[in-house]
Amino acid sequence: MLTAQNLHKTYKRGHHPVPVLNGLNLTIETGEFLSVVGASGSGKSTMMHLLGTLDVPDQGTVLLDGKRIDNLPPREREKLRNQTFGFIFQFYHLLPELSTLENVTMPIMVGKSMFGWMRERREWRKRATEMLERVGLGHRLKHKPRELSGGEMQRAAVARALIGRPRVLFADEPTGNLDAEAGMRVVELLRDLNRTEGVTIIMVTHNLDIVGVTDRVVRMTAGRIEPGELNAPPLRAYFPVPAVG
Amino acid sequence: MYKLVLCWRYLRTRWLALICIISVMLGVATLIVVNSVMSGFSNKLKERLHGLLSDVVIESPSYGGFPMLPDEMMSRIRSSPVGEHVEAMTPTIEIFAMMQFRVGWQNDVVTKTVRLLGIDPKGRSAIGGFSEFLLDPARQKDPSFDLTQQMLHRVEYLRRLNAMKQPVELLDPNEPPSPDAPPSSPPKDYGIIVGYAIASFRAQTNDPNTPTKDVMLLHPGDSVLVTTVGAAEMKPVFSNFVVCDYFKSEMSEYDSNFVFVPLDYLQQLRGMEGRVNCLQIKLKPDVNLFETTAQLRKLFGDGQHYVVQNWMEKQGPLLSAIDVERGILNLLLCMIVCVAGFSILAIFTMIVAEKTRDIGILKSLGASSRGVMSIFIGYGLLLGTVGALLGTLAGLAITRNINEIEKHLTKLTGQEIFPRDVYYFDQIPTHTDPMNVAIIVMGAIGVAVVFSILPAMRAAMLHPVQALRYE
Repeated sequence: MLTAQNLHKTYKRGHHPVPVLNGLNLTIETGEFLSVVGASGSGKSTMMHLLGTLDVPDQGTVLLDGKRIDNLPPREREKLRNQTFGFIFQFYHLLPELSTLENVTMPIMVGKSMFGWMRERREWRKRATEMLERVGLGHRLKHKPRELSGGEMQRAAVARALIGRPRVLFADEPTGNLDAEAGMRVVELLRDLNRTEGVTIIMVTHNLDIVGVTDRVVRMTAGRIEPGELNAPPLRAYFPVPAVG
Repeated sequence: MYKLVLCWRYLRTRWLALICIISVMLGVATLIVVNSVMSGFSNKLKERLHGLLSDVVIESPSYGGFPMLPDEMMSRIRSSPVGEHVEAMTPTIEIFAMMQFRVGWQNDVVTKTVRLLGIDPKGRSAIGGFSEFLLDPARQKDPSFDLTQQMLHRVEYLRRLNAMKQPVELLDPNEPPSPDAPPSSPPKDYGIIVGYAIASFRAQTNDPNTPTKDVMLLHPGDSVLVTTVGAAEMKPVFSNFVVCDYFKSEMSEYDSNFVFVPLDYLQQLRGMEGRVNCLQIKLKPDVNLFETTAQLRKLFGDGQHYVVQNWMEKQGPLLSAIDVERGILNLLLCMIVCVAGFSILAIFTMIVAEKTRDIGILKSLGASSRGVMSIFIGYGLLLGTVGALLGTLAGLAITRNINEIEKHLTKLTGQEIFPRDVYYFDQIPTHTDPMNVAIIVMGAIGVAVVFSILPAMRAAMLHPVQALRYE
């Protein structure tokens, strides 16, 4: 479904070019929950940025359902990010001036015109409320991000990423800023969404403890995917994790 | 929709926005107050000048007056195409003169140079800018030089008093009077209307509620001696007059120079044989002033014996000076608004830096660069609008209560902010033009928007990945 072919990407630090991706090839099937692991600086986040059209490769292609998306005009790429892709970041990246509910509805507000939003806002607010209840934040609708814990913020970010029912969810170190229990909750949530909604998830992490819930684990080294899959260690729950929803 | 939501939230949650709003507000309020006061001054001055001067004046460069008699001149005007535009006309004499009078118990002699005007009071009132400035209410309704019984009694009393004392001649007794000059005491007492500032002076008091008061040097019934030059020959002519009223236009130029006497007596005194050296014309409303002036110039041809000017041409330098001052002041004050604009630029640059990660989030959610740019331009527009509206309210409130504010400031500082003896008016005149206010408001909003463009462009050009990684 989503394919990366021979991706190259180099960043410039002053006068020194820093190659990050060196001919990366990767295919993700529809509905797959993929983990990409690797050491810090291996190019995991860069790969995800290219797959999610947040950046453009220097060389190579990115295909979605066989159609090239890396060379689309900016407007088309923005539309993809709004309607087809969802993003979860390590530092949650919620907008601090907005409430939890407003943060979750933000992708819809971005994608719709003013009149479109005014016409459909009740329906979208209802969907956002349901989404937040599903991730266990039904009682935090009007709270601002500064009033939430790290785990709660990440769950709100998950709800925001999924409000528009994207086909692909990119999770860049979703548990990187969370403790073990909170991190496990988030990963369990992602697993649950993958199973019930069929969302394709690509999770980038350096934490091998959480990759057990995923369908496939691949390792990145020096800007490339190592051939073969990793044997994911069994899922270790440090604390009992209540069922989500 | 997200742009509006974010603009509104940034306005409510960013205290830095308050600084932008306050600077725009101060700039707009200052511009409105200054424009209103300058406009008030300008309008009041024009009103006063126009009120005191007739619409069109025909003057003779010669002290002897026009070659044509005034009735002939007026007849010529009435029978010409210009005649239908004329509402009233009156002949006058305007000449320089000297006025002497005695003051105080020591009978000190005061000598002042004056502008002597011989007028027909009713004709002059028809032109406008005369009877309404007289202080005697009876004369305001029915202007004349008639002396009341009280005045005549005072004249008689002062004559007897002077006769009892050693007579002190106002002129050098060794100098024989001119054989052609009329007697210094005319057979009849003629009234004279004296400019208020000639007949009085402003003294400081110790009373904080009334810091100044007017001390009268001349009272109704007092005698003055007026000396001027004859028409036929360059010889002095003089006569006594009796003060019958004061002329107070609150224009220092006129109140401290003008004295009015009966036209026919002045003609006789100067030997003018019925001639005059000035014809004042009032036009009907909505008549084109400059076109009519041009027509009158054509009618009275040469420019050698007849100089035709309208009131704006006569006061051109003064009016231009006011307009130039106003223009310069506006320019300088616009710089205040530009300073407010620079504060917006600086603050927005800080906000964009602070919001870099948020911009990255928005772009990752699919917001376009144009959308991000319009958030910040919209923010500038909102700040500008709020600041401009608050500034308008503040400016209008200050303008409305400016005289009370001036009184309080005077009390507080001990310094008279608006010295009444310097300016022409008792109160600070103001005139708020809605169009002017609208231009100021739109200008301030425009400046706010313009100065937000650069930071907005910077925000739009941020790369989403770099923005997300910003620390």
